[in-house]
Amino acid sequence: MLSTRDLVAGYDERTVLDGLDLELPADAFTVIVGPNACGKSTLLRTLARLIAPRSGSVLLDGKAIQELPTREVARRLAVLPQSPLVPEGVTVADLVGRGRQPYQRWWRQWSEEDSAAVERAMVLADVAGLADRPVDTLSGGQRQRVWIAMTLAQDTEALLLDEPTTFLDLAHQVEVLDLLHRLRVERGRTVVAVLHDLNQAARYADHLVAMRAGAVVAAGPPREILDADLVREVFGLDCVVVPCPVTGAPLVVPALTSPTLATTTVVPSGAAPSALDATSPTGSTGVTPAGSENALAGSYPSEGH
Amino acid sequence: MTAPSRARTVAATTGEPVATPSVAARLPGRSLLRLGPLSLQIRRRSVLVAAVLVVLLAAAAVLSLSLGTPYVAPADVLHALSGAGTPYDLVVLDLRLPRVVLAAVAGAAFGVAGTLIQSVARNPLASPDVIGITQGAGLAATIALTSGAAAVVVAPAALAGGLVAAVVVLALGARHGLAAQRFVLAGVAVAFALRALTEIVMITAEAIDGQRAQIWLVGTLAGKGWAEAAWIGGALLVLLPVLAWAGWALNSSALDDDTARGIGLRPVARRIGLAGAGVLVAAMVTAQVGAVDFVALVAPQVARRLVRSERPPLVCAALLGALLLVLADLAGRRLFAPTQLPAGVLTAAIGGPYLMYLLLRGRKRSS
Repeated sequence: MLSTRDLVAGYDERTVLDGLDLELPADAFTVIVGPNACGKSTLLRTLARLIAPRSGSVLLDGKAIQELPTREVARRLAVLPQSPLVPEGVTVADLVGRGRQPYQRWWRQWSEEDSAAVERAMVLADVAGLADRPVDTLSGGQRQRVWIAMTLAQDTEALLLDEPTTFLDLAHQVEVLDLLHRLRVERGRTVVAVLHDLNQAARYADHLVAMRAGAVVAAGPPREILDADLVREVFGLDCVVVPCPVTGAPLVVPALTSPTLATTTVVPSGAAPSALDATSPTGSTGVTPAGSENALAGSYPSEGH
Repeated sequence: MTAPSRARTVAATTGEPVATPSVAARLPGRSLLRLGPLSLQIRRRSVLVAAVLVVLLAAAAVLSLSLGTPYVAPADVLHALSGAGTPYDLVVLDLRLPRVVLAAVAGAAFGVAGTLIQSVARNPLASPDVIGITQGAGLAATIALTSGAAAVVVAPAALAGGLVAAVVVLALGARHGLAAQRFVLAGVAVAFALRALTEIVMITAEAIDGQRAQIWLVGTLAGKGWAEAAWIGGALLVLLPVLAWAGWALNSSALDDDTARGIGLRPVARRIGLAGAGVLVAAMVTAQVGAVDFVALVAPQVARRLVRSERPPLVCAALLGALLLVLADLAGRRLFAPTQLPAGVLTAAIGGPYLMYLLLRGRKRSS
C-alpha cells in the first residue's frame, strides 16, 4: 500500500535518500534496519509525510501522499515518531484521545465512535488500567504502549514506528514487538518499523528492508535474505548466522573479534568469517533445553508464509 | 480507496467483549457538552474555576464601584446598576462603571493574548509584554506623544507599532516553523532594541512630553472608559470565531510537531494562526490602555495552575486577567488616594507574588 518512486529526501543541505524506489507490502510487518545515519529514519519520516520529499514521491495506494489532505492520510496511516515529547500532566486517556483528532472538528470534539475507538485502543495496548494516570508519571515501557495506543485510536490500516523499542529494557522491547506482531496477525494491520536490533528484526519481520548509505541493499523475508554476507555488506561486521533456537529465524552473532573474549574454545577464530552456511554447529553454548524451546516456539504463531 | 473502510470493519467485527461503554473511554476530568450539532469537551475543573472567577470578578467590580469619594454602599451600587434611577447614578454609572468595564475587558484581552502566544511558543515567557509587541506599541505611542501629533493618533499609531514589531518577531522566529526557543529569543531581542529606541526618543523630547509618554508606557486607565472598552471588546467579538477554534486547537499545542503531523494537523499553520490572533488582540488592547505589564504573562500561568491543565486555559485566563486588572485599577485608585497609581504598576505587584506562591506550592507537590 506504501511505495516510493525515485524518492529524494533529506534535511537542509544534506541529501540522505537519493532516488529510492521501494515497495512495502500490505498486511505485513516490515522492519527497516541499517547502520546509524543510513537514512532509515529519514525514510520512515518521509513515508509518514513528516518531511516532504525534495523530489520523487511517496505513494499511498497509488496516490502521492503529499497531495492528499493530511487529515485523510491520518485516517489511513498512523505514525509514532522516535521520541515524542510527553506533554506535562496529560492523562493516558486524554493522550490516547488525541489520536481521534483526524475525525474531529472544533464543533464536533467527541463522538461515541471516538469513545469506542479509544477504549479499543487502550485495551489492545493494555493501558486501559492506566486511563486516569498522567503520562509523565509512567515508566518507559508503559509510556511507549500509551503512544502506540494513541496511534491505534486513529483506526488506520497502516502503522509506522520509528525505533519504538529504543530506551526500553529487553522485556519491554519484547512486549512492544509482540503487540505490533499481534496487530499484524490478529487485526491485519500493515506495520512498518525502524529497529536497531537485527535479531529482533529477523524474529518479527515478514519483510526486511536492509539499508546502507541511503539506499536499499536487500529487501525480502528475513529467512531468505538475512545471511552473513548481507550483514557484512550493510554493517561492515563479520558474523555468524545460525537458526534461532526458539523461532528458527536467522540469528546474527558477531564473529569473534578478540581471542580473549572466548573463555572456552567455542569457535575457531578463523572459521567465523567463512561460516556462511547457517547449519554449521557454531555458537552452541548454553542453548535453551529442547523441552522449553518447543514450549516457547509454540507461543509464537508462525510467520505464515 | 477501500483501505479505510476495511480498517474500520476489522475493528468493528473484532469488537472486544470488554468494549461495553464505560467511564474508562471517557476523557478523565472532562464532560461532553452537546448543543445541537455541537459537541464540546469541557474540563470539569475549568468550569468550577471559571464559576469562582466570575463570582470574584463581580465582587471586585462592585467593590470598585463602591469605594472612592464619595463612598457608595454596595447595596446602592447594585440598585444603581439595576437601572432604578438613584442619586448615585452619576458616580456609579457615569464616572466609575466605564473604567471598571474597561479594566475587565482589557484584562480579559491581555489574558487571551498571553494564553495564545504562550501556548504557541510553549513558553510562559512568550507573553506580548516580553516579546516586543508592547514595546513596539510603546515606541510608536512615544513618538506620537512627543512629536506633537493629535491625541487621536496615539492609539492607531500604537496599534500599528505593536503589529509591526510582531511581524518582525514572527519573521525572525519563523525559520524552522516558529520553533519555540527561537521565537522567544527573537522577541526578547526586538523588545530590548525597541525599549532602547523609546528611551532615546523620550530623553530627546521636551520634559512634559516625555512625562506623558512615561505614563502611557506604564499603562493607566485614568480618564478612559467606554470608547476604549468598545474598541477592545469589538476586536474580541470580531475574533470570537477564531477564539472558539483556538480553544480547541490549543489542545494540541503541547504535542511536538511530528506527533501533531501524524494525527493530521498542520502545526506550523496552526501556530501562525494562533500567534496571529494573539498578536492582534495584544496590539489592540495595548494601543487602548497602554503598556500594562504582566497581566498577559501571569494570568495564563495562574489559570493553568488553578485548572491543573497542561496548557493555559483560554476562558479562565481571560477571567483571571479581568479580575487582576480590575483589582489593580482599584488598588491604584485607592491605595494612596488622592494620589492615583497607574494600574500597570500594581498588576505586577499583585500578580507577581501570587505566581511565586503557586510556583513554591507546585514545587513542594512535585518533589
